[in-house]
Amino acid sequence: MNAAVALGIVAIVVLLAIALGLRGVRGVKMDPQEYIVGGRRIGALLLWLLLAGEIYTTFTFLGAAGWAYGKGAPAYYILCYGTLAYIISFFLAPPIHRIARERGYLTGPDFFRDRYGSRLLGALVALLGFVMLVPYVTLQLTGLQILLQIAGFGAINAVTAVAIGFFVVAIFTFAAGLHGTAWASVAKDALVLLGVIFAGIVLPTQFFGSPAGALDAVLRDHPGWLTLTTSTADPKTAGNSLTWVVTTTVLTACGFFMWPQSMAAIYSARNEDTLRRNAVFLPFYQVMLLLVFFAGFAALEILPGLKGPAADQSFMLVVQKYYPAWVLGFVASAGTLAALIPAAGQLLAAASIVGKNVFADYGIARDDASQTRTTRILVLVVALLAFGFWALAKTSLVGLLLIGYNGITQLFPGVVLGVTERRPPGLAVGAGIVAGILALVYFTVSGQGQVGGVNTGLVALAINALVLAIVWAIAPRQRSGSVAPIAS
Amino acid sequence: MPILCAVIPALALTAGVVAADRLEPRILGLPFVLAWIVAWVLLTPAFMWVAYRSVRA
Repeated sequence: MNAAVALGIVAIVVLLAIALGLRGVRGVKMDPQEYIVGGRRIGALLLWLLLAGEIYTTFTFLGAAGWAYGKGAPAYYILCYGTLAYIISFFLAPPIHRIARERGYLTGPDFFRDRYGSRLLGALVALLGFVMLVPYVTLQLTGLQILLQIAGFGAINAVTAVAIGFFVVAIFTFAAGLHGTAWASVAKDALVLLGVIFAGIVLPTQFFGSPAGALDAVLRDHPGWLTLTTSTADPKTAGNSLTWVVTTTVLTACGFFMWPQSMAAIYSARNEDTLRRNAVFLPFYQVMLLLVFFAGFAALEILPGLKGPAADQSFMLVVQKYYPAWVLGFVASAGTLAALIPAAGQLLAAASIVGKNVFADYGIARDDASQTRTTRILVLVVALLAFGFWALAKTSLVGLLLIGYNGITQLFPGVVLGVTERRPPGLAVGAGIVAGILALVYFTVSGQGQVGGVNTGLVALAINALVLAIVWAIAPRQRSGSVAPIAS
Repeated sequence: MPILCAVIPALALTAGVVAADRLEPRILGLPFVLAWIVAWVLLTPAFMWVAYRSVRA
């Protein structure tokens, strides 16, 4: 009975959000410009929601609470990196947008292809983005599995539930494209905000008198938990030193807008001013994370003992145990939308970059019909890879995100140099990316999460930049960016 | 000018966090380091607004 109420609410909310998304695109003609970059006329408010919609995912909803529960103060990095990323985007996003509009880019890798005059570099960047989106989609899948299992009180088969959810979202993605995703984000953000206020204010107030009361309780049982140096000295959080926290903040801030879906969001803005204003005000959105931390800390006191990745389930389990089924249903549906909508955007991004910058650019898929077919098959490929990764890699939600960030941030030097007038040859950028990725593969295979406390992704980024500089210095001078504009 | 407006909050949220890593004094119940981070997240739009005005002018 409880499971039927909770899951019923989830199903209704998901269907309503999809209806809202489809309403948002009614009467809009769908060509690739419209579909992938929303016709390049998405205004400030909708862009805000779109950027926030891509950013506030299951990761925010469950992962941040899971880290507050399982690691303590290192979770604070999540509050810092988004803000730092918006500061960077104030300078980086407007020139990217201007160039993309002038040269008619549709995908993130188009930027590399055109600015460095290299089809091969475009394809390399597309494949990198494709691979790095797999752990990100896996993150959303893991979140869905947690939510549906808890909302179903263990009565439903998690794999089946996740498969149904993903099927729905794939259909939605094909039908609505970017504009529809932005409108569905409106519903998602409203629900997530309510869910977070409940979990971060109402719940700790009922158990501890106030959110601060929950922090007091945590400090009684785990004295060092809420400050970085002390909580990182705790053997339970080994591997996350103060140096690691700061270097991870820097790494992920640089990588924030390197995701293909974030690049597409930058292209989709109405103008450069819209992007600047967004960069100014988006940090306010981050404050929501504070409430998520409260939820995680409160759960640590109410329901202690969850180990490893199980910490991601912490506050949902509290809701399941102590609140009526309809409350659980609403909180779970907020989380479900927070997984489904970003997953739709990520699937679309992963499939469209490989469809465009590998299959179309190399003439494997020539006409529109075969390109559409290729894109659809690729969506299935990403989804299946994410399923596989989900079944194999049992890591925490934050852990999954960091795998993706280590890789995608390798594009940062190429994007920063790409907006300047004196650009390195494409060979140098490509060599840097390959060196960075090889370094990451080495660190992963040898099981290193850090080098002397520094996040391995940042070490790989340094190697990447060094190789880029060396090849730039020794490579023969050539004029780049001389190929024809991309728009047909 | 825009660069300066950006560098101050950026440093506060990286190197500043290392310097502010203390529990006391608690502010509104928050550990000092968390209050520091939240304060700078809220101050960043003010700094970037100044940057925005100077870019437009």
